[in-house]
Amino acid sequence: MEVDRSNREGLKGWLNPGRYGWERVSYWLQRLTGVGLLAYFVGHIFETSSLTQGPDAWAAMLELTQTPTGHMILLLVIGMSTYHSANGVRLIFTHGGKGLGKPGRPDYPYDAVSLNYKQRSGIWIALILAATAMLYGASVLFGGE
Amino acid sequence: MMLRESQIMKIHYVTGIAAIFVVAVHIMMRLIMPFGMSLEYDNVIANYHNIPYVVLLESILVLIAIHGFNGLRVILLELRQSKSWEDGVTILTIAAMMAVVAYGTRTIIIANGLGFE
Repeated sequence: MEVDRSNREGLKGWLNPGRYGWERVSYWLQRLTGVGLLAYFVGHIFETSSLTQGPDAWAAMLELTQTPTGHMILLLVIGMSTYHSANGVRLIFTHGGKGLGKPGRPDYPYDAVSLNYKQRSGIWIALILAATAMLYGASVLFGGE
Repeated sequence: MMLRESQIMKIHYVTGIAAIFVVAVHIMMRLIMPFGMSLEYDNVIANYHNIPYVVLLESILVLIAIHGFNGLRVILLELRQSKSWEDGVTILTIAAMMAVVAYGTRTIIIANGLGFE
């Protein structure tokens, strides 16, 4: 008989950053940025398809997207993609066992060796890179060129 | 052919890393001239007539579609587990991925000039 092993906490458990600190924040930021980027990707495919209907359709689409609001959304996409990429590279190393530290005796207060400064630095580097990319993006998008 | 989850995750990582490089080139193409000018119709169409760039666009389309929809599948499987849910999510994400790749490829082919005149 098939057993339904539904996650009892569902989205609440998924989004709860309380129990695991920065690692949990990084976990759901990776997922939220991933879903956001997928939505942008699908929207971008639709947006560029207006090219096939000629210059007028393309101009009409640009009027819709090349606005201050459109640029703010693009800035968010720049930040999301930079964070998702940098944190994704950290996760690939982590899943390969790099930067996890050596297993030790479980002494009180039972801090996990794997949740170490290397991992936290990686998360901070991803956040700083995202902020830097957004600043550069803002200078290009709102720089008046 | 059924792939193991470990194999799917390897594909997820490889497509993710490859996407970083091809998207970086795609963004740089918007910055070789003032951003607003790079979006002018003639300049964008000129990009689509450049065969190496067309190959790059198609690879972005395929890599991000695979990475993105597999990521969505992983998220949905983390939220709930049952045979019917897992099969349904897998079928839906593969179908959505194929639809997006087909639609994006259509744009690339038409804009490249094969569908004009």
